[in-house]
Amino acid sequence: MSAILSAENLYHRVSTSEGPLTLLNNISLQLARGESLAVTGASGSGKSTLLGLLAGLDKPSEGKIWLAGEEITAMDEEQRAAVRARCVGFVFQTFHLLPGLTARENVMLPSELRGERGAAKRAEEFLAKVGLEHRLSHYPRQLSGGEQQRVAIARAFASFSGEDAILFADEPTGSLDAGNGAKIIDLLFKLNAESSTTLVLVTHEQRLAERCATHLQMSAGAVESYESLTGDDNLSEVSA
Amino acid sequence: MLPLRLLFRDWRGGELALIASALVLAVTCVTAIAHFTDRLTRAMEQQSLTFLAAERVLRSSQPVDTAWLDKAEELGLQQGQIIQFASMISANDQFQFVSVKAVDSGYPLVGHLEIRRSQDASSEIVQQGPPPGEAWIESRLMPLLEINLGDSIGLGDTQLKVTGLLEREPDRGTSLFDMGARVLANVHDLPASGVIQPGSRVRYRYLFAGDDQALKEYFSWLKPQLTEHQRILDLREGQPRVASALNRAERFLFLAASLAVLLASVAVGLAARRYGLRHTAYVAVMKSLGAGRNKVLAIYLGQLGALTLIATALGLALGSFIQAQAVNLMAGFFPVAPPTSHWSPLLVGLATGLACALGFALPPLFRLARTDPMQTLRKDWSNPDKREWLGLILGPSAMLLLIWWLSGSLAMTLALLAGMALLVGGSALVNQLLVRGKLASLGGAWRIALGSLQRRAAFNTLLIAAFGTGLLAMLALVFARTALIDEWRMQLPEKAPNHFLLNIAPTDVNGMRQMLEKEQVSSTEFYPMVRGRLIAINDTPTKELKDRPNGVRRELNLSWTENLAPDNRILEGGWWDKTSEGVSVEVELAAQLNLALGDQLRFSIGGLEVEAPVASFRSLDWNSMRPNFYMLFAPGTLEGFPATYITSFYLPPENKLLINDLVRSYPSVSVIELDKIILRIRDTIDQVSFAIESVMALMLIAGVLVLIAGVRASIAERLQEAAIIRTLGGRRRLLLKSLVLEFGLLGSAAGLLAAIGAEATLIVLSQRVFELPLMLHPSLWLLGPLVGAILVGIAGTLACYSSVSQPPLKVLRELA
Repeated sequence: MSAILSAENLYHRVSTSEGPLTLLNNISLQLARGESLAVTGASGSGKSTLLGLLAGLDKPSEGKIWLAGEEITAMDEEQRAAVRARCVGFVFQTFHLLPGLTARENVMLPSELRGERGAAKRAEEFLAKVGLEHRLSHYPRQLSGGEQQRVAIARAFASFSGEDAILFADEPTGSLDAGNGAKIIDLLFKLNAESSTTLVLVTHEQRLAERCATHLQMSAGAVESYESLTGDDNLSEVSA
Repeated sequence: MLPLRLLFRDWRGGELALIASALVLAVTCVTAIAHFTDRLTRAMEQQSLTFLAAERVLRSSQPVDTAWLDKAEELGLQQGQIIQFASMISANDQFQFVSVKAVDSGYPLVGHLEIRRSQDASSEIVQQGPPPGEAWIESRLMPLLEINLGDSIGLGDTQLKVTGLLEREPDRGTSLFDMGARVLANVHDLPASGVIQPGSRVRYRYLFAGDDQALKEYFSWLKPQLTEHQRILDLREGQPRVASALNRAERFLFLAASLAVLLASVAVGLAARRYGLRHTAYVAVMKSLGAGRNKVLAIYLGQLGALTLIATALGLALGSFIQAQAVNLMAGFFPVAPPTSHWSPLLVGLATGLACALGFALPPLFRLARTDPMQTLRKDWSNPDKREWLGLILGPSAMLLLIWWLSGSLAMTLALLAGMALLVGGSALVNQLLVRGKLASLGGAWRIALGSLQRRAAFNTLLIAAFGTGLLAMLALVFARTALIDEWRMQLPEKAPNHFLLNIAPTDVNGMRQMLEKEQVSSTEFYPMVRGRLIAINDTPTKELKDRPNGVRRELNLSWTENLAPDNRILEGGWWDKTSEGVSVEVELAAQLNLALGDQLRFSIGGLEVEAPVASFRSLDWNSMRPNFYMLFAPGTLEGFPATYITSFYLPPENKLLINDLVRSYPSVSVIELDKIILRIRDTIDQVSFAIESVMALMLIAGVLVLIAGVRASIAERLQEAAIIRTLGGRRRLLLKSLVLEFGLLGSAAGLLAAIGAEATLIVLSQRVFELPLMLHPSLWLLGPLVGAILVGIAGTLACYSSVSQPPLKVLRELA
């Protein structure tokens, strides 16, 4: 299985008023197409920073990242945006739907940003997949939290335009009650399996992490453990 | 298409409404003011042209070459002719010295005549003078000549039937040719009358009107051919006082328009900044979905472009509609029928829309495009990009260029800049003083109000500056207007002399003085007057001077006196003692002639020459309506020359018959009735005052709307805060009181700053633009904070009222 996402010796530092601060310290990992990775750790351990770097939202201070076969750390912001537009989808903890747009319009957005035709039809298909075909014209404020997150998931899957598809989910159940959270996770994994999407998931929940094929535990910006939960134990090669 | 689709969707969500309304407001205000001032200025110009009865006049002491008139005909210009002279008329063995004005059918080209067809009829407006064989006279001639309407008067060898009483003529002047009662006749009767003989003192005025380009072409062709006896008069040259009033009015109106632009741009800036902040989260999401910086910029520039075009078009239409309604409503106040709309105010509106959008809305969008997509993961929506320099440079620069373009005055632009710089710098300071004060210890509502001010310290600095700008504009306008009108009123004091008596024989001076005293009319001194021409300065003939000022191109009235008139002031040299000799020269003419004390001036008087050294330089007030002279000689120098005397006095309208008694007792005396001329000037000034009042009203509306726009920019935060306080048990009344306090404090702080800024602006404006004397305005310092507190308190509370009136649960759910 070829790697769709790999990172090599990542360091990330920021300057603060109290001097430089290291957010990530020598992280390496590798993820095969269709695989799922759970990143866990305490608050401030660097999970979200790692997620952002892997998705190409920012560049690490040091190290290299390959996403869908391209070294995104060698790219400028515009080029990284182009890669994201093609093969990255996001699900956020607080949904991040645009309040001025309806459910359908929010899901249309990634296709429109790529300048694709048929964005509305595609959006309706994805909203049907998440069970919101009856909520197409509703604005986010008219939807429940669970419904908003389902729209966000539909938008994330509408983000992919090719075979290489990686879904980054940042605490996707963090703003939901247990019942809704479980439904959302079921939906996420179901769609993931259907479309052979690669999944990178940041979560606090151990139960959720256990549903992923691999698990990366972080502490103070470094990898505490990196293990396969499916018995495939070849991860020591890339772990810190 | 994506930007348009997003604009539409975003608009539906209500996000762009504020910035669009700010832009519409900006363009509406400016277009309305530009339209209104353009039409009013053109109306005033048109009215002022009636002082000439034409758009241009060629004045000559001889009939001009007919080829000149043919050329005007060829260029399609309208023409009229006036021949003016002083003459005797007769009726029933009575003779009267009058000012005859013979006109052709073209007169007047601009303005109209007012006559009465019978003594008890009301006046009617006519567009032409009398037909051949008829004359219109001033009513006071009727008792003097013992005639009635329909009787004939003799002018030289011809008889003219009096068919009208002349009430008003547009171009009644003050020259010697206008002295005495007026008889308006037709030029075709002059040859038969034989009153104009070779050597007669006659003034020919050729009137022209028509297309601007044709007029320009004609006078460029004519100018090189003029002799020194001929002069072109236009609005500015013909009536310097009116021209100066108009010039000041123009500057004032443009100042108002400039301040409206400034106010509007502040509103756009506030709205755009808020828009940028609100969209940070959206852009971060879009970027995480794959939109690059250029894509984001293209989307938002597309939105801004579409928004600007739509808002500007709407603003142009609204502005044009409002001004059309205003002009229709106020048509009665316009000096002449309001001229039709011009396209140039639309250009001003369009430029304003673009300048506001590009200068003030663009910088927040550039900052928006630099949003870090990692913010979606950090859940932090503060804009980390601290590079606000673009906004600080671009907006003010765009406004300054626009104001410079609008006003055409660098001095005015710099004055505004000085005021604004003071205001922005002071805003931060005042804001700090306000939030660090001990007012919170007053408890309850004060604490909430102060807390709110503290939480928005940075934004409040901007709000204080914005409110301050509005108040500064209003205060500066009110005070500049007051000072401006005061100075105008001072130019024409209520009891300024309104009659001049000329041609008083030396033997009549005492008798006339006694007659005036008996009627309790106080006159100025009786000044002797000798006409003479300045022909050489230190033996250099004045003909050889470059750019010869008017004072040496014509004969001057020379006089002498022992007493310096109250409106005269010696600036250099000294006034006479008994042994002095020499001449005191008016300071501006002296500067034009480059004179120094002691220079020898040679005058030609009736063929004889007189030399006198320059003894002093003297300032005088031409607006005092007293006899004043460029050249005043020491007593003893000119006594040998035949002189007549001149004086002026104020005569109330109810004593007008005294003029008849005077003329009857002293038939050779000529009377110039300045009251009629003053009435015309006062009319014009009243129109100018009205124009200023109108612009003030529009400015006030613009100011209040901008204040509301500024407050609305923070409404979302306020809704949330109010909802939280109410959820925690805070009463609505407490919140309302805190709102009043918050905006009252903000308003008074802005008012204080505005007072400082307005005072600074007024000082610069009064010195550099309006040329008014330096004055400080203590009332401004009281009025500023008070008006600020009331205006901002009411506007802010009303704008935020929804934050205390809406159920907290609804607010919290919507904002979640």
